Amino acid sequence: MLEVQGLKHYFTDEQGRTVKALDGIDMHVDDGDYVAVIGESGSGKSTLARHFNALLQPTEGRVLVDGMDTAAEENLWAIRSRVGMVFQNPDNQIVAAIVEEDVAFGPENLGVPQPELGRRVREALAAVGMTAYAQQGPYLLSGGQKQRVAIAGILAMAGRCIVLDEPTAMLDPRGRREVLATVKKLNEEQGITIVYITHDMSEALAAKHVYALEKGKVALAGTPEEVFSETDELERLGLEAPPAGRLAAKLRKAGIKINGNIIRDEELAEALWP
Amino acid sequence: MLSDITLGQYFPGTSVLHRLDPRSKILATLCFIVIIFIAKSSASYILLCAFAICCALLSRVPLKLIYKGVKPVFIIACLTALIHIFSTKGGEVLFSYGIVTVTALGVEMGAKMALRLLLLLLFSSLLTYTTSPIVLTDGIEALLRPFKSVGVPAHELAMMMTIALRFIPTLLEETDRIMKAQTARGADFAGGSILTRLKSLLPILVPLFVSSFRRADELATAMEARCYRGGEGRTRLHELAYGTLDGGCLAVMLLLTAAMAALRWLS
Repeated sequence: MLEVQGLKHYFTDEQGRTVKALDGIDMHVDDGDYVAVIGESGSGKSTLARHFNALLQPTEGRVLVDGMDTAAEENLWAIRSRVGMVFQNPDNQIVAAIVEEDVAFGPENLGVPQPELGRRVREALAAVGMTAYAQQGPYLLSGGQKQRVAIAGILAMAGRCIVLDEPTAMLDPRGRREVLATVKKLNEEQGITIVYITHDMSEALAAKHVYALEKGKVALAGTPEEVFSETDELERLGLEAPPAGRLAAKLRKAGIKINGNIIRDEELAEALWP
Repeated sequence: MLSDITLGQYFPGTSVLHRLDPRSKILATLCFIVIIFIAKSSASYILLCAFAICCALLSRVPLKLIYKGVKPVFIIACLTALIHIFSTKGGEVLFSYGIVTVTALGVEMGAKMALRLLLLLLFSSLLTYTTSPIVLTDGIEALLRPFKSVGVPAHELAMMMTIALRFIPTLLEETDRIMKAQTARGADFAGGSILTRLKSLLPILVPLFVSSFRRADELATAMEARCYRGGEGRTRLHELAYGTLDGGCLAVMLLLTAAMAALRWLS
């Protein structure tokens, strides 16, 4: 689905210095994969996200979406209809004054005719569980609901991949759970490829693969088990292992014997009371 | 305070007027405004008033609300009437004192002018009472579309209006938040002369403007990410369609225009 080869992205800041936001990234995301990208603020994860649907073009290297190069102008709309973006601020990505119309915004831009258009909007709203709000104004929705509407907008474009750029950073715990559950469900039931950018390690646990970025480079990559067991390396990157992993490490230090590689709450419970 | 904001003065409902296509309503309003100026005889004014009252009743909008909509022009209507009463000369003299003379013709002209203004406003406020701003925008876009070839940016105007409507509640909420933040730091918005009050608005407007620009930038990125590239080749979820009601509306407006023309030029 997504193929990143030696991606570099440089830009010039206000003082005229060259900033290396991305400095040689290699990444591979399969169809139906669920990838989490973690990293400190300024590690380049948002910049990376904007490369996946050609909002940014590489300074060097290549980004391929289903084999299409994001640097080629003629691929632009095909790429953007395939890879959708959900941004951090739920308010600033809703265009229309009615939920249903907002979900239709993407497919309208693609020129999808009726009745196909209406069907897509209904199915997309159903997939994120927002059917009951179709006729409402977005200002009446909670943050989590707004993010689900944004996800529905991508589904309605028949997108196969959703890139979420810290979608829960401005949400309350309930909105956070709603968004995570929706993303998981779409990945499992519809095989939608997910790229989830976050600085919250517990959110990255749901992923199949995790990439940890540091100063525009991939510092760690692998399954959540592999990445989160590197506690020292994570700390060096300014990140910390999920709570269960940290607790397990402390317990081990205190002399309690815990077997296996613990990163999730259930695993710790299982290890303590088998 | 902010949860019950209504946009414009739309009064939701399912009356005949509510169900009319927005294009029909806009055109009918324009047509009505034109024929108001054909009216000359008292009979034609009575006809117009009767028509306007029928429409107001058909809309099922509470009369109190309609009154509220018309109220702002009462003063202007009264002033217009007074100017006409004192400046028009002719007909029987009703009252005379020094240089001030009030004639029958003057009174008649004054009354008609005031009536024209009131009818104008009544009819256009019926349009906004029975049409939601979103639908109204669609209607305006559809009506302006034929003029695209002569450079009228129909789609762009409609998109701007839609986004403005969408962000009004968001910005109101933000204003509220900024005001609270400033109040918490000791700002006083209520007291003082008009000048001090205007000055105290500055700490609200500056952050509001800054954040609006940031929002606009983010929204533009999000729109681009969703394949927005202008009005070319776009389809619509709710395509406007004329129905039998709109045929009826057309017939009524034609009849009214014919009747007004007959009253003006045949009698």
